[in-house]
Amino acid sequence: MLQLEGIYKSYYRQKVLEDVSFDVPSGQIIGLLGPNGAGKTTLIRIINQIIEPDKGYLSLNGKRMTSEHLKNIGYLPEERGLYKTMTVENHALFLGQLRGLPKNDVQKQLDYWLEKFEIQGWRKKRIEELSKGMAQKVQFICTVLHDPDLLILDEPFSGFDPINVDLIRAELNAFRVAGKTIILSTHNMKSVEEICDRAVLIDKGKKIMEGAIHDIRSENKEGVFSITFTGNMIAFATALWAGYEIISKEVHNDTTFTVYLKMRGENEFNDLLTTLLPAVKIISAQEVLPSMEDVFMKKINAGKEVEHA
Amino acid sequence: MRKIQLIAQRELKERISSRSFLLTALLGPLFVLGLVYALFSLGGSEKQHWNVLIMDKTEIMENKIAPKQDPRFTFHFINEFVEYDQFATLEQFKDYDLAVLINEKIISNKQVIVSYRELPSESIQRRLIYHVERRFEEIMVKQFTDLEVSKFREIKQSMNFSFKNTSDPKNEINHKAAWVGYVFGIGILLFVFLFGMTILRGVAHEKSNRVVEVLLASVHPRQLLTGKVIGVGVTALVQFVLWGLIIGVGLYLFRQTFFPDLLDPTLLVEQMSQDVAQQALDKFALTARNYNDFVDLVYRDIHFTNMLLFFVLFFLGAYFFYGSFFAMIGSAMGSESDGQQYIIPISIVLVLSILSGYYVIYHPQTSLAEILGYLPFTSPVVMMIELSRGFSEGDVWKIYFSLFLIFLAGFILFRLAGRIYKNGILQFGHRLKFRLIIRWLKIS
Repeated sequence: MLQLEGIYKSYYRQKVLEDVSFDVPSGQIIGLLGPNGAGKTTLIRIINQIIEPDKGYLSLNGKRMTSEHLKNIGYLPEERGLYKTMTVENHALFLGQLRGLPKNDVQKQLDYWLEKFEIQGWRKKRIEELSKGMAQKVQFICTVLHDPDLLILDEPFSGFDPINVDLIRAELNAFRVAGKTIILSTHNMKSVEEICDRAVLIDKGKKIMEGAIHDIRSENKEGVFSITFTGNMIAFATALWAGYEIISKEVHNDTTFTVYLKMRGENEFNDLLTTLLPAVKIISAQEVLPSMEDVFMKKINAGKEVEHA
Repeated sequence: MRKIQLIAQRELKERISSRSFLLTALLGPLFVLGLVYALFSLGGSEKQHWNVLIMDKTEIMENKIAPKQDPRFTFHFINEFVEYDQFATLEQFKDYDLAVLINEKIISNKQVIVSYRELPSESIQRRLIYHVERRFEEIMVKQFTDLEVSKFREIKQSMNFSFKNTSDPKNEINHKAAWVGYVFGIGILLFVFLFGMTILRGVAHEKSNRVVEVLLASVHPRQLLTGKVIGVGVTALVQFVLWGLIIGVGLYLFRQTFFPDLLDPTLLVEQMSQDVAQQALDKFALTARNYNDFVDLVYRDIHFTNMLLFFVLFFLGAYFFYGSFFAMIGSAMGSESDGQQYIIPISIVLVLSILSGYYVIYHPQTSLAEILGYLPFTSPVVMMIELSRGFSEGDVWKIYFSLFLIFLAGFILFRLAGRIYKNGILQFGHRLKFRLIIRWLKIS
């Protein structure tokens, strides 16, 4: 769907993006991750053609991107605003038409989304009459009004209550099912795990990691297993001897526990189960993959260490 | 183009539906009309009594004038011709306000020259003409016909009166006309400042509430700026039209209702030409107190078509020129209050432009006045002054050249403003420094 090839961007001799390349396949949700100041917003602005790269190019569906492609893109920036004195309807008409949609089509799309979000009564309200969350919803509607193939959302969940977060999340999934592509820039790693198919991690203007979410977590696993069992904790600990290292435990009640451990030496998962089965009753046992937050922290900190070294 | 149109339309709708626009559009002209009404009503500084010297070398008038006395005039006769400069400067003539030159061939050429120290109002001029013409009717009837005076009046040819300033007989110094142009020029600058500030506030507001990033994902920064400038400019034109209509209708109504006799001296003269002359004189003596220079200025001296046409053209040029400055500052501001310091220099330039107009009124023929007429900063005021004074046929190119220069400068500045807008509009949280603006200018 979207290819970025060797993107460079500097501001006043300060490199903001350096040789960033990645592909965004169709029908997937891509998490664009990185700490503050990593260059995510600059990259998003380049994709939206708000600014031009110093070097490199972008292509959409195999064709070099031009301003013509803008009508296929929907963009919800992190710092988003609306004209406070305009009504919801006029705002939607203005932004929809700017994206190249005829007036009648904007009206139809607006009807559809207002009905879908059950907010038909807002149509004639001025933006300044809406709460922050309500305005966020209007912004989301204005972003998707022209039915874009590529959606770029910068922190789309900020400002929403949990109910509306679920609502927006459901809509994003529906877009994915409909074959749309979504680039999601967020610091909320839980969201990334839950809804993203892939992720690209950027730090200090460079791409430092890219891949499917499961692959990223698997590649960064550290051999930690979790065992949930009923029985005696002492019997459990005694059964494990020098070949295992208990990292932490959770006590559910007097007889039920979850223990996180690492294996030492040549031991494998089967050996662990063989050792424990005679001592306790195992409820569940699995390898623990690191959270995206753990991976994120690990990669960013690794970068800092290299820098200090 | 479609996107620029959409942005301009949005701007226009937002500005026109705002309360401040409606208040300015209604209260502004009403204030002007109130001022005009007050100036009409208060009456003027015009002299109540005029000493008229009739220079009748051949004594054709036989030292006589109207049979009935007019309280506004005292006529004196002299049987010689006095040059303008003598009349203007010699001690013996200083008590005379007007000098009427009756030339030797007046019966055939019908030319009468009146020189004045202070321009008499239209009504006083009419009255003087009335008196002189009546006297000549008597003379003509007596000397050349057997007709009654009333019959002769029906077939006679009117005389041609020309009024000349005694210290400026060639009418080179026309301060009153210049002041009209000055008022129009100041009007241009005030509107430019008003709508320039609208651009600045609009750009700064879009920037601070971050709606600009949403817009820039759909339009090029230059399209956004162009649309905004056009939208605000059209708003200004709508404002002009409303002002023009309200003031025009107001002046018309003044003429028709509040001051009908006052403002139609021909009506009075017609009345006087009949046998009720004395009655009319009495009535006129009362109303004429209110008649002043300002009435002449409004109803006679302003060539509204020309002035309004060039007012709009120079406004557009100045608007693009100064508006580009305001747009630059708006887009370069790090926060909404950041750019206030940069408004002061623009305001100073605007004040200097107003002062330059004042200079040109009193020093019209200087080379500095010529230069100020071409400088885009000052040309709107200076050229409106020159226009109201009138261009000789060979000099008309000057106003078009000045217009060309201001539009050219506006275009260049608008291009530069576009560059700063593009580079500065998405920069936040910085302190606006001149160095930064230069840096943004360098980035294409």
